[in-house]
Amino acid sequence: MRPDPGRVLQGVAVNLLTNVMQEIRTPFGQQTVGIAGSLAMMTGEEFDRAADRLVTENRIVRALLAEGLALVDGRAAPAVNAAIATPVAPDFRVSSLLAENDRLREGLIELQAALELSPSPEARALDERIWAELIESTRRREFKNRLI
Amino acid sequence: MEAQIAHYLEAKLPARHVRVTNLFRIPGGASRETWMFDASWHEGSEEKVEAFVLRKDPPASLLDTDREVEYAFYSTFWGSKVPVPRMRWLEPDPNILGGPFFIMDRILGCESATRVIIAPPFTAVQPEIARNMYEILAAIATFDWHGTPAARVAQAPTPETAWRKELDHWERIISEQELSPQPIMRAAIRWLRANPPPPAQRISVVHGDYRVGNFLYQSDGSIHGIVDWEMAHLGDPLEDLAWSFNESWQWAKDGRPGGIVDRETAIAHWERASGLKADPTALHWWEVFSHVKCQGIWLTGARSFQEGRTNELILPLVAYTLINAQDQYLLRTMGRIA
Repeated sequence: MRPDPGRVLQGVAVNLLTNVMQEIRTPFGQQTVGIAGSLAMMTGEEFDRAADRLVTENRIVRALLAEGLALVDGRAAPAVNAAIATPVAPDFRVSSLLAENDRLREGLIELQAALELSPSPEARALDERIWAELIESTRRREFKNRLI
Repeated sequence: MEAQIAHYLEAKLPARHVRVTNLFRIPGGASRETWMFDASWHEGSEEKVEAFVLRKDPPASLLDTDREVEYAFYSTFWGSKVPVPRMRWLEPDPNILGGPFFIMDRILGCESATRVIIAPPFTAVQPEIARNMYEILAAIATFDWHGTPAARVAQAPTPETAWRKELDHWERIISEQELSPQPIMRAAIRWLRANPPPPAQRISVVHGDYRVGNFLYQSDGSIHGIVDWEMAHLGDPLEDLAWSFNESWQWAKDGRPGGIVDRETAIAHWERASGLKADPTALHWWEVFSHVKCQGIWLTGARSFQEGRTNELILPLVAYTLINAQDQYLLRTMGRIA
């Protein structure tokens, strides 16, 4: 669809913040319009990037889980195994990719908790790589176009 | 709503005809609706006018807290060295205004906005505001709460269990409210359990949300009201000190708590006024914990909105801006990122 949804929502935000805001009489109303504008901007950015972020992240987390399976046992192994067995999302809807992401990240929590209890150098190294991925995951979620 | 409030006050005041004017909702208030209004009535031949604040439970919010507890903590400090507005009426009946509420006196002539305190002319009095802020926090920490309304509504942990009580509570909130797994917060919770702090120096009143933004101040640097006691409880006084340092309220984005003071100065004020010690290891534990608690609050708001229990737009804004940011603040506190 053109104009791009992100551009449409940017237009919504600009209108709310420049044309509508000045017509609102109460501080609470002004705050609400300001928030609506900011949410329009953020939603537009997320619309464009969400699927890409989730596909990327799901691939990375699957690889970490597969590598970690050999390093854990006991209660963690079945949980990690179950996460790895999560079916790949059947389509590219964000809701499908997000459901896959949630299951994989649940497994990642179990894996990291188990690795923390292991003194082996391999476990320590993988734990650090999980931390690196978690840090990177926060960067993928940063908004760049926020107005406030 | 003016008519309902007036009708309510007519049953509470020595007046048959109360007029409510200048009613407006103030921005913010993501956990309770906060309304200002003036009420006027006649007592004999004399006309009385008073300014009030009404705090009302919304259908859903960032927090699900008991307004009776908040009312009790406010009442506990009325007339003490800790300035609070006077509580007037607590109303649990949700049918009067569409939700339980309480009414308190309005403290006039003060600022509370976070954007104001970090800009001129208030930058000049930030040292005075900060000194007052941490001296008042010291007064809360050393307050004898036994026999007060707070003692009736709050359970006191032991010095050894204060940390666990709070961590259990907020871990449960995260488990109940998260819409997606939180691997960074879960790692922090594991760290907190593996590295508990030393026993609390004493069991104190903990405000629970003590920070710039939750007090009323004036241009001479004085503070006239500590507000938003909805998360108040009894516990380790270091919890409040650590909470005030959280990056979520570093409003000037310059690394200073609240955007008004460096942490060493804040700690010095608090230690001098309270006689307590801010052990660095214990303070660090409570700072890590503060991120977990923040995330529990943001996740609660996100779920409320997702499930359609409210259309308050501040909740998705908080979720979009703060859930990921809180993870990053935690990573910084844990030394994982610069």
